Amino acid sequence: MAKLGFTLNGQPLEVDVDPSMPLLWLIRDELAMTGTKFGCGLGLCGACTVHLNGSPIRSCSFPVQAAAGQAITTIEGIASDSALHPVQQAWKELNVAQCGYCQSGQIMSAVALLASQPNPSDAEIDAAMAGNICRCGTYPRIRRAIHRAASLAAVQVFDPGTGTAVQQEVV
Amino acid sequence: MDTMLKRRQFLRVTALAGGGLLVACGGGSSSSPSPTPPDSSNPDSAPGNGGDPAETFAVGEFLRISSDNSIRVLVGASEIGQGALTAIPMIVAEELDADWSRVTSAHSPVAAQFDNPYFGALQFTVASAATRGYFAAQRRAGAAVRHMLIAAAAERWNVEPSTLRTEKSFVIDDANQRSASYGDLAEAAAAQNVPINPPLKDPANYTIIGSTRQRLDAVRKTNGSEIYGMDVDIPGMLTAVIARPPRFFGQPQSVNSNAALAIPGVLEVFTIPSGVAVIANDFWSAEQGRKALEVSWNEALAGRTDSAQTRSNYQASLNLPGVPVRSDGAVLLAQAAASDVLSADYFFPFMAHAAMEPLNVTVDYTGSAAEIWTGSQSQTIDRLFAASILGLLPEQINFHTMTSGGGFGRRGNPLSDYVRDACHVAKTLQQPVKVIWTREDDMKGGYYRPAASVRVSAALDNNGTITAWTHRAVTQDVTSSLYFEEQLDTLAEMELPPLGELNDLETGMPYAIDNVHMDAHLTLIPQMPSLWMRSVNKFSDVFAQETFIDEIAHRYSRDPYHYRREMLGNNPRLLAVLDGVAQAANWGNPPAGRSQGIALIAHWQSYIAQVVEVSVTGDRELKVHRVVSAIDCGTAVNPDLVVAQVESGVIFALSSVLFGEIELRDGVVQQSNFDDYPVLRMHQTPQIDTVLMPSGDNPGGVGEIGVPAVGPALANAIFAATGEQIRELPLKNLNFVIA
Repeated sequence: MAKLGFTLNGQPLEVDVDPSMPLLWLIRDELAMTGTKFGCGLGLCGACTVHLNGSPIRSCSFPVQAAAGQAITTIEGIASDSALHPVQQAWKELNVAQCGYCQSGQIMSAVALLASQPNPSDAEIDAAMAGNICRCGTYPRIRRAIHRAASLAAVQVFDPGTGTAVQQEVV
Repeated sequence: MDTMLKRRQFLRVTALAGGGLLVACGGGSSSSPSPTPPDSSNPDSAPGNGGDPAETFAVGEFLRISSDNSIRVLVGASEIGQGALTAIPMIVAEELDADWSRVTSAHSPVAAQFDNPYFGALQFTVASAATRGYFAAQRRAGAAVRHMLIAAAAERWNVEPSTLRTEKSFVIDDANQRSASYGDLAEAAAAQNVPINPPLKDPANYTIIGSTRQRLDAVRKTNGSEIYGMDVDIPGMLTAVIARPPRFFGQPQSVNSNAALAIPGVLEVFTIPSGVAVIANDFWSAEQGRKALEVSWNEALAGRTDSAQTRSNYQASLNLPGVPVRSDGAVLLAQAAASDVLSADYFFPFMAHAAMEPLNVTVDYTGSAAEIWTGSQSQTIDRLFAASILGLLPEQINFHTMTSGGGFGRRGNPLSDYVRDACHVAKTLQQPVKVIWTREDDMKGGYYRPAASVRVSAALDNNGTITAWTHRAVTQDVTSSLYFEEQLDTLAEMELPPLGELNDLETGMPYAIDNVHMDAHLTLIPQMPSLWMRSVNKFSDVFAQETFIDEIAHRYSRDPYHYRREMLGNNPRLLAVLDGVAQAANWGNPPAGRSQGIALIAHWQSYIAQVVEVSVTGDRELKVHRVVSAIDCGTAVNPDLVVAQVESGVIFALSSVLFGEIELRDGVVQQSNFDDYPVLRMHQTPQIDTVLMPSGDNPGGVGEIGVPAVGPALANAIFAATGEQIRELPLKNLNFVIA
């Protein structure tokens, strides 16, 4: 066991765990946040995708100790209190989810893609999403939803009052 | 959370039930808000799932109308991704004239009044039967409750019921310019007589059925709050993993658990009939414990199925007559008179369902009662097996059907394998426990789509007209394990659907051919667990049928679309979708460098034709560019859900056709995870276009109809591109490079 500190969804956190335990099981079993899913355990399916300092990682095969001092974001951490993240909003509008089990991971990969490439092409989407499996076959809708999220995010405006981007209602 | 409180609440709610769909309506009200805090493991009060403070009334057994005018529909079918928890409430809401924006839904308890009428006495979400199975009964129920609400308002206002109308959860008295909400009327409505045959709406007046509505779970499935079986967490819960034998139905002979028990967090190791259970505080410890376990297995009676041997056995069986499943006319006579008789043999491997959520079950067994949480397509039978293992009556088990992270048939096992495993663990432990399967457990765990061989033949006259058709299938009986005495004892009280029907062998060959003989060998391999997988034997049977039709068309220089067309004169619904897809796909004029293939199937009361567009390069790089489908599912209750199911079926089929293969060598499964059992990924996904052509008939099933014709349409496109006849799957084994 080892004491490790990191930031989870913006909150500093200290845990006392087996440092070789994958981050996924810390999040799910110890911290009881179940939005991040267990799918394959080998980083092959992407259901467990979270962000490490904004970049997507497969938490099922990422030892907790490697997260020490870093910022972790999970599906629970991307929406603001009042509104879904533009990617989640697009997912909802297009009825993307079927069984929904892979979608936390899909969304985390999509959020990371849009952060680095605000207006991705189909080829860029394919490349960024290749690590996320969906057995229900929601890929065509995911592709459309990422384009839709890109246009939703494009209407975000800077709010000088808070110094952050604010989501505008899209009619 | 206090599990006892929850159990009492459950009993109180079900105590309203009185047999028959609406008989309990006269029973009055039940104040059901829970005194317990919201419980994330209970789907009934999962986030976004309700838990409202308003007083609620049970109107009928499946519907709760609250005083705040919200309506909650309990659904007996399982949500496995297909949208059952949206589509079925839409049916009730339509006849009820409910305000759809105030409707929520949840899984029902396991109880007779929630059985799917399609199967009789079972809650069973298989065979594309959820929407079509519940459709008529849900309409009647909605209409009956609407009738009772009107009667209550008429009584209150002292007017004739016929002067009142309903709209968006209000009863309206136009003459006197007043209205009352359903919530306001619910208590009085529950005291009204239940109409036996309430009039149903003219479909022309539907406002909800036939309109695209957002899935009721759309937000919960995008913000991580949907609770699956894997996410269940109850106080004091331990986690178990099970070490299973390398060969099916091997037995643990000796177990050295010293090293496993030395792992921090590992609490107990004991054997159960199917293997060795490792109990720990959490998953990671349990998994480390399992790795440290030393088990020697007794495999004297274990399965020794070998894929190559199975194939050779099945090939031999193709030469022997099977049990007839369809016989029209006189095939032998027609063959004797034919100018040509052609035949072809096909082989299909074992395949794994590989749903995204690995199997898991949570059991809280106290000795005198139990609660079970799991994603299940077969909760009635699951609970029955659980009761027999735990020594309880089924009614003493509160079975929570959880949202499933995919099913595809695997969670509808009439042998309840994974529920039984978990009950054996819980019985020994007598403490809440979640049994988790890893991906490897799931992939190696059996209950696969069985391997199959098919032989088709056609007798032809000089013009290329088919005068006789034969079809012989050799495949494992997916119900064979039910024949064991022990299982039959447990299921003795059950009224199972006809076993033959569960195998769903193809008999529907739709073409106008005078002489048809179809037969089958259903093999029994007790140590080889097989199970239906999405579209069951249609997957292999239709592949053979629809590729062979193209070979014949080619031989007689006929266009595959027109050749089919001419044989479908007496099947207007298939003809319509065939014409529909040809038009939508611009049949005959593919983009440069691409080839098209076409195929069709009618089953589950639905009709589909599909065109696949591919390119094949000189070095066998195969790319699927586009799949176009035209579907007639009678009534599309929620058109977008139908389109989503077709898209889903297409992609599921592409995974199977391109990659799907579980290989057994001397009883040992060779695949373990998504690296050696690949499935389709986004960059391999073609453009998918779907045309809805609903005829207005009763709803047909849509969960599987998108699957079977994709493979043959794809093979026909390859045949058109290269002249190569595809006689076995998956295509990755035929030296194609999948782009």
